[in-house]
Amino acid sequence: MLAFEMERPRSLASAAEILEKHGSQAMVKAGGTDVLVWMRKHAVHPEVLVDLSEIPELKGISFYPHRGIKIGALATVNETAENEDVKRCYPALRDACLSHSDVLIRNKATVLGNICASVPSGDLIPAFAVHEAVLHVFGPGGERDIFFSDFITGPRKNSLMPGEIVVSATLPFPGERSAGCYLKLARRNALDLAQVGVACLAVDGEAGRTYRIACGAVAPRPVRATGAEKILEGVTAPGDDLLDRAGKAAAEASNPITDVRASREYRLSMVDELTKRAVALCAERLQGGRAS
Amino acid sequence: MKRDVHFILNGKPVTFSVEPRTTLLRALREYGVTSVKRGCEEGECGTCTVVIDDLAQKSCMVLALEAEGKSVLTVEGLVGPKGELHPIQQAFVDEGAIQCGFCTPGMIMSAYAFLRKTPDPTEEEIRVALAGNLCRCTGYIPIFRAVHKAAAVMRELGHIPGRAR
Ligand SMILES: Cc1cc2nc3c(=O)[nH]c(=O)nc-3n(C[C@H](O)[C@H](O)[C@H](O)COP(=O)(O)OP(=O)(O)OC[C@H]3O[C@@H](n4cnc5c(N)ncnc54)[C@H](O)[C@@H]3O)c2cc1C
Ligand code: FES
Ligand code: FES
Repeated sequence: MLAFEMERPRSLASAAEILEKHGSQAMVKAGGTDVLVWMRKHAVHPEVLVDLSEIPELKGISFYPHRGIKIGALATVNETAENEDVKRCYPALRDACLSHSDVLIRNKATVLGNICASVPSGDLIPAFAVHEAVLHVFGPGGERDIFFSDFITGPRKNSLMPGEIVVSATLPFPGERSAGCYLKLARRNALDLAQVGVACLAVDGEAGRTYRIACGAVAPRPVRATGAEKILEGVTAPGDDLLDRAGKAAAEASNPITDVRASREYRLSMVDELTKRAVALCAERLQGGRAS
Repeated sequence: MKRDVHFILNGKPVTFSVEPRTTLLRALREYGVTSVKRGCEEGECGTCTVVIDDLAQKSCMVLALEAEGKSVLTVEGLVGPKGELHPIQQAFVDEGAIQCGFCTPGMIMSAYAFLRKTPDPTEEEIRVALAGNLCRCTGYIPIFRAVHKAAAVMRELGHIPGRAR
């Protein structure tokens, strides 16, 4: 690893000041599980690493009834998985957390670091997509909110401006009667990046049943399978025909590459399969009359 | 530029002088704590596992300066004042869970953090807890057996889960 200087600001304001002073020479670090690996591989070489881990404003997870859950930038993947409100209302997010790396890395890696890394295989990305998360950002221009659908612009690219820090993200309350899941396909259970990941959220609202489906690791940007969502709309117990059509529609929305982890063709047929399974699982859970 | 970092290592306050790029793994080894093994240095293998403020962490993924004010426990810290092995260490010996031994300190630290939280674990829970620690020798089965046995011994000894001996 090349040498660098490290700053450990104690407040958001001082972090912003440091970032402004050093401009493109500075890089932000939360857990550091991506940053340290990238620095070791010389993929990035910041002169100043700005460690956010001592900033109290960025810690914690809070749930606001009817509104949603706010996840701080320093909330680790394990903290999020073990949070009672996440267990109760955000099973797709919890599944995604438990599919991430292993128990040890999850003690260090943050949920928002995974989002900010903006790597297509990022396991938290599909869950953020189906929950239509909003990112709260602080920077030289003050505070602003970014809808998750506008956040990731390409592999390892996002719409943060220089000097901006993500402070937290809100995942709106999905409703009392909802079910969700995240299904990840990888070569082994622990410590492997997703070949394909599919998140599904089914909600019984006033206007009837709606589904939200998002696929990860199958395109440069996160994929919302809106075609599949429309096919399923209003159907509480989708049969095989409908599931087939939804699976095909999700595959059509995807545009995967072939890499060391899987070929394009394999990924496409797995998007189809995982979409069917995820939808069936959510429908089954709601059928049981139990929101989970 | 080197800077001082102050933390508690196995119950004693220490000060290390380190560069910002020095990982906790390298700092510990440089200061003679050689139970912490340098494997992949990419967070994959778990041979560098230590316990920081109650959480098992891969020390190659932690910069030494991040240890400021924290409490760091390595396998050296599990040994009693007269050299008595901790029940987890003893179980590893008894069950043949050690062959070359390279993975052992990391395995034991993962198991230690895990058993503090889960004093009566299932087989499945043990497997998940150790999924981030690779072993190229034993085939894992004796390791899982050792963790089961250590859990039973610790429960019997009335070890308050969470208390370093
Ligand atoms: C062994 C190993 C296994 C892994 N397994 C998985 C896996 O299974 N699934 C998976 O998705 N990922 C995996 N990863 C990748 C990594 O752990 C995750 O992406 C992690 O969630 C990143 O979080 P972090 O806090 O460590 O991020 P960091 O490394 O601190 O930061 C990541 C990026 O986000 C930026 N950033 C972080 N926080 C903020 C913020 N608040 N505001 C603005 N920018 C910010 C940083 O500048 C950097 O560009 C693995 C990594 C390792 C080392
Ligand atoms: S050396 Fe740290 S995980 Fe391999
Ligand atoms: S005993 Fe040799 S690697 Fe585990």
